[in-house]
Amino acid sequence: MTRMAGLAPLGAGLLFAAGVAAQGQGHDRWWAPGDGRVFPASLDYRNDSGTLRVLLTGGPMETKGHPFFTPVGPNGRACITCHQPADAMSVSAESARQRWTETAGKDPLFAAYDGSNCPTLPQGERASHSLLLDHGLIRIQRPWPARDLQGRAVKADFDIDVVRDPWGCNSGAYGPARGKISVYRRPRPVANLKYLLAVGFAYDPKQGMPLPLDPESGKPMSGNLMADGRAGTLNAQMRDAVASHLELLKHFDAADMAKIVDFESRVFAAQQVDAVGGPTDAGGAEGGPGKLARSEPGQLGSIGKPVWSEFEGWEKPDPALSKEANAFRASVARGARTFRDKTFLISDSAGINSPIGFGNPVRNSCVFCHNMSQMGNDVAPGQVDLGTTTKPFADPMPWLPLFRVTCLDKPHPHYGRVIYTYDPGYALTTGRCADVGKITLQSMRGLAARAPYFSNGVAKDLRGVIDYYERRYKIGYTEQEKQDLVNLMSVL
Amino acid sequence: MIRAALLLALLGGQSAPEQLRFITCPVYRDTDAGRKSGCWLAEDRATGIRYDVTLAPSKPDWNHEVLVEGVLSASTAQPCGGPVLDAVRTSVLPGTCTRQMLPAEGFPGRKFVLPKRNIQPLSVKRTPPAGPFASRTFHLLFDFDQSFLIYQYDDYFLDEAVAWIRAAKPRAILVTGHAATAPTFVSGRRIVERPVIARERAEKIAEALVRLGIDRSIVTVRWKAGEVAEMPEADGLAEPSRRRVDIAVSF
Repeated sequence: MTRMAGLAPLGAGLLFAAGVAAQGQGHDRWWAPGDGRVFPASLDYRNDSGTLRVLLTGGPMETKGHPFFTPVGPNGRACITCHQPADAMSVSAESARQRWTETAGKDPLFAAYDGSNCPTLPQGERASHSLLLDHGLIRIQRPWPARDLQGRAVKADFDIDVVRDPWGCNSGAYGPARGKISVYRRPRPVANLKYLLAVGFAYDPKQGMPLPLDPESGKPMSGNLMADGRAGTLNAQMRDAVASHLELLKHFDAADMAKIVDFESRVFAAQQVDAVGGPTDAGGAEGGPGKLARSEPGQLGSIGKPVWSEFEGWEKPDPALSKEANAFRASVARGARTFRDKTFLISDSAGINSPIGFGNPVRNSCVFCHNMSQMGNDVAPGQVDLGTTTKPFADPMPWLPLFRVTCLDKPHPHYGRVIYTYDPGYALTTGRCADVGKITLQSMRGLAARAPYFSNGVAKDLRGVIDYYERRYKIGYTEQEKQDLVNLMSVL
Repeated sequence: MIRAALLLALLGGQSAPEQLRFITCPVYRDTDAGRKSGCWLAEDRATGIRYDVTLAPSKPDWNHEVLVEGVLSASTAQPCGGPVLDAVRTSVLPGTCTRQMLPAEGFPGRKFVLPKRNIQPLSVKRTPPAGPFASRTFHLLFDFDQSFLIYQYDDYFLDEAVAWIRAAKPRAILVTGHAATAPTFVSGRRIVERPVIARERAEKIAEALVRLGIDRSIVTVRWKAGEVAEMPEADGLAEPSRRRVDIAVSF
């Protein structure tokens, strides 16, 4: 069950869906590199919860020859390959499966370098791409020893060795001993980026330092772009992506990068219509991407507009709507309040309980970390260890490699000296044992279009996200609260 | 107590409350009075008194020992179920503890209020400090054997210092890290900071100044053993004043 209990979302939603000219439901749903289409000012895509809208502020854009859309490397990929409009500018596991079927596995998405579990595997076989097809995961190859934001080698305060290597990409020609660590992560959405780049405060309280400066501009960097914080700006992210995912050693030139930054800065994506509740910007609600495009980023919800208060208008029933629609809207509004107000004890989570000084444990709610108005990411750099990638909190994931980290100096504040992890996360950038398992919070918009969730795709659906938090922090959500939160997340 | 007496002398001979200092395992009381409402309790094993240390800028970790340094509050209210230390610091130590959590047991705890030492978001326009400017020294204080800038405490003082420096445009800044390298005895245990922590503190603050826009070429970095000093940032506590960085600004 991923949607409001007792309702039939798609059937009940026909009334609302009829008012939306959903595009790209057929062969044109997938944007292939070099398509040469015009990117319109507004694109609507159906999903299981309703309709996602992608806005391009400033009007339509010709994609022919545009570096975001043009294959530039030997594998035929472009940025658009893994950042699909229908998937809120990420790529869902479902879309990957459809693409596999439609192209018999020949789409550049399945490039051996990172669209397969490991380049050494037979590339024609589905099993060699199971992480992408079943879990939406792309291989991320990180250098070892770790490298910092400027690409300089970092002397790590931990050793890392491989406990389990199901695909061979952390042994043989790969692995820490060969300077290449393979981890597997979901592509992050390239939308609503002004929120991820916003600098709300000059300090990173989790690191106890002012924000690091971008060597190019000299300005502080938000620290919210990448799962492991390895790139602090869009330019740095582009260089990383071009050299890895696109297998192109030559970087884009300055003009190309400017074009990509321009496009990425204009794209906003959010659920526009719910199949049951109707337009997310109707009935007093302020959902949808239009509000995102118009709002000021980087605002702390606790001192400004409360997080997800966009849906307060749905607390009041609309007599013109069906009982089901009003019930759904009320559920979303309750979910927003639960998100903000239901407190629980957060314990043993680095980035929250250490070293920042909040204490271990500390009582707070979801908005403790998901605190930015309109977006739900962290105003401060959001490197936090929820345990999704690290034992004992991470669920069993036999399909992923498992690493053993041994801290050489101080032990990790919560895990001790020896840590077992599927993905050391931020520690692969900082080289610090205390950062093992920290993954940057991401935005919460367009969720309905881009399952599965968490950096390693361990939550198959939105209910899986709530269930993880319930297991991790023993929150004590009622069944109603869980459903309300799922409904809330489905309309973001 | 010697240190406390020294501070007393520094303060001009006025009678000062006793400065408590002990090591123990902290206890968390979940009063469930909203966000950040929990209570932290710490028992001085020498006396059997369990104090409320919740008001420390950085809170304990229930898995680790904690060094408590504080002064008993003049107030007799006990919202968490223990006498309150209201000038208090708690430093997390490496020693491990069995975690212990108490229910509210009728104690209300404290509703969260924003600490007085917090920085405003960048979106809030600030008024630069007014001159005239003369040489002065800013202080940042640290937890025991730590170089981490404490949230809503050190960042506040650093922010004040940088705002002043930006307005004053000084000729030189000397950043001096101090560490409490002279051992003291607490709860029957000899404790001492690592000498290297003085350097770590100094270098970290120098880097912080640069990240906040201060010209690196005017910043000099030094480190030394820490001595008790009088400063408002220490809230009258003697020992924490040894664990500090001085940012001395000259023209």
